[in-house]
Amino acid sequence: MKFDVISTKKFWFALSIAMVVISLGALLFRGLNFSLEFTGGTSISWKFEEKVSVEQIRETMGKFGLGGSKSIIQPLGEPGENQVIIRTEFLETAERQKDVADGIQKDLGGERISITSVGAAWGQQVTNAAAIALMLSIAAILIYLSIRFEYKMALTAVVALAHDMVIAVGIYALVGREVSPATIAAFLTVLGYSLYDTIVVFHRILENSRNIGKQTYSQMANSSVQQVIVRSMNTSVTTLLPITAILLFGGETLKDFAFALLVGIIPATYSSVFLAAPLLATIKEQEPRFVALRRRVEAGEAGEVRQKYQRKKTAGKPEQAPGREVADLQDERPEAEGAGETGGQDQPVEPRQPWAGTRPASKKGKKRKKR
Amino acid sequence: MSSKQKHIISLAIAFIAVAVAAFLIYPIDKTAKLGLDLQGGIQIVEKAVPQNKGEVITPEKLDQAKFILEQRVNGLGVSESTVEVLQDDQFLIQIPGISDPDRAFDIIGQTALLEFAIVQPGQDATVDALIGLREQKAKVRADGKPIAMTDAEKTKLLGKTLVTGASLADANASFDTQSGAPMVNFQLKSTDAKKFGQITQANINKRLAIILDRQVISAPTIQSQITDSGQITGVGDIDEAKDIALVLDAGALPVRLVPQTNQIVGPTLGAESLRQALVAAAAGFVLVLTYFVLFYRAFGVLGWVSLGVFTMVFWGLLTAVGVTLTLPGIAGAILMIGIAADSSIIIFERIKDEMRAGKSMRTSMETGFSHGFQTFLDADLVTFVTAAVLFYFGVSTVKGFALVLMLGIMCDLFSSFVFKRSALSLLSRLRIVRKPWLIGVRGLPAKSKGEVA
Repeated sequence: MKFDVISTKKFWFALSIAMVVISLGALLFRGLNFSLEFTGGTSISWKFEEKVSVEQIRETMGKFGLGGSKSIIQPLGEPGENQVIIRTEFLETAERQKDVADGIQKDLGGERISITSVGAAWGQQVTNAAAIALMLSIAAILIYLSIRFEYKMALTAVVALAHDMVIAVGIYALVGREVSPATIAAFLTVLGYSLYDTIVVFHRILENSRNIGKQTYSQMANSSVQQVIVRSMNTSVTTLLPITAILLFGGETLKDFAFALLVGIIPATYSSVFLAAPLLATIKEQEPRFVALRRRVEAGEAGEVRQKYQRKKTAGKPEQAPGREVADLQDERPEAEGAGETGGQDQPVEPRQPWAGTRPASKKGKKRKKR
Repeated sequence: MSSKQKHIISLAIAFIAVAVAAFLIYPIDKTAKLGLDLQGGIQIVEKAVPQNKGEVITPEKLDQAKFILEQRVNGLGVSESTVEVLQDDQFLIQIPGISDPDRAFDIIGQTALLEFAIVQPGQDATVDALIGLREQKAKVRADGKPIAMTDAEKTKLLGKTLVTGASLADANASFDTQSGAPMVNFQLKSTDAKKFGQITQANINKRLAIILDRQVISAPTIQSQITDSGQITGVGDIDEAKDIALVLDAGALPVRLVPQTNQIVGPTLGAESLRQALVAAAAGFVLVLTYFVLFYRAFGVLGWVSLGVFTMVFWGLLTAVGVTLTLPGIAGAILMIGIAADSSIIIFERIKDEMRAGKSMRTSMETGFSHGFQTFLDADLVTFVTAAVLFYFGVSTVKGFALVLMLGIMCDLFSSFVFKRSALSLLSRLRIVRKPWLIGVRGLPAKSKGEVA
């Protein structure tokens, strides 16, 4: 599968920027539809025995001072089920709630399915908690990334993360779907997932960068992406499988959750491959030694490849602790196997030794070295 | 101990864990604790606020209030009700499975202050009017004011409070033997009986007003001295009598409660949600199991067993910890199916990778795990951290989701290290397993096919 993410990066950057701009626009002009738990108010779901018109309901609600625009009435579920959801201001006391419910029962029949009431103070608490959770997650992630990888990777990962979040939220703004605490929980989970996906790619890039050999950083990054893309896709699919199951069979609440997860995972998967990797490559290529490397590669010092690489392999460097700068360009001399060509080649590097320092014992090696 | 023995022990541990889990789960399927979005019921958050301006909510008052609330909640006769204190001044009351949630809401919110006072001269008519309004269940008086008396009013109509509900030892509801009307019987504490006796003795032929939460229930004329017990008549029906007895028994709250949020889920909605959730979970399983076999062939079966081990241990842990299942919790569990499957897949892919790179199948199986686990460890850790943050800051339903994720990840790590690794290692020693097509790797160069160590 010849697949080049790095050289087509301009396209992907443009696409990403476009999606972010659209999302921001949607957020600004349409805003988000926040649920009861954030805004406060009371929501009554009612099932009627037969069809009842909105006017009739409004009239009944009017008896309690909740007529006219004070009640928002929407159908719920399938049309034949005669279920509605009535949203009003916060009905604070038990008494008031019961009165309204009894009133509807008396006038229009049916039964109450559920009722949720949220006071303004509580709604505020929920909003604050969600905001703090979000900020803390991002902080925790930043710290974790900086420890695990170098800071440029951490930065790139966070950019990808922000991109994902904005798009996910933008979709909600565009579609107008309700944002509830469950949505926030799902988004935070996706945050973790997006990060993980990016880590999978960066992990491989980091490993390969230790034996970068005769390629530019971009080429190495590109082949790293090719190596892990199958795994990345697999991971997305296994996560999407249960989500699909929920979307098909779950009830309203579960579906909301699943939708939020879906909306988050799609940009997350996209960004680790199509945004994070090219962005990282672009940034790293600015570093002086990678500039130098690029010049050398392009000048075509492919000569000594063949003989040297056999010997070099068994003298592999011991495993380095992750997070340290990739400092071993002493290995820049012919290590790449057969990558004789120069400049912009697409040939994937054979994953002969993508995991540094873990050569099997040499007795096995004997069998394989036949040329 | 050879590595083979170590792995066998490891597998044994895995199976013991599964057995323990099964044992925990199956005594009854009543070991499943369902939240109120799956069972129906009511959940209320009330904020404690001082009775009178300038007072402060002390920890003692909170404790007392919590105790009283628990009494009331228990008096409703539903098992598994809980009263929790949130953030210093709020109570979270959960009553799953109750058939009359509105009544519960009502009972919980009342201050339930019982007072006895003497109707002041010349105020009979006004007092009677108030009693009448209450009997009719009116909410406001003719002039729009609430029925409950203000402090000033009470002093004018009834003078000082002479005895309060604190003097009650006991209260219950019954029907009057003569008139058949419902009433509340109360017993006074022995220490207060004397005082009550003196008051009634001194006020014979005057009317004793019985006031609950500043509403006059009745005001009978004192015929003779009353010492240790009495009745409250004028209650609407036996249900109301029972409710009054309930709150009197528990005692008056030392604080006023302000409702913050409540949620009532009807039983049909609860049952329906549960059914749908279970179907979704089953579907999720089926999809994942199919995926395994499709892409990993015979190893897919290993994936199944692995997922089975994970599910049992996970379920067992949830039961052992006593987690209450809510819809977000189930969403988390279904997600975990995907995450657990993913750990297996990462290993299998790694094995395939190593085989394609030329290693023998046996080696790949041995080392596939040790090379691959770093990756899913990262994934699991990241998910765990975000779940932990959610748990710490979350609102109650979201907390359930986060908790399930955290426990799930722990189980995933356990089942991976204890089961998958050992199973792979032991299986790799069996020649019969070492055929590349079994895992779905095709077109390998000749040298690694049928490779014998």
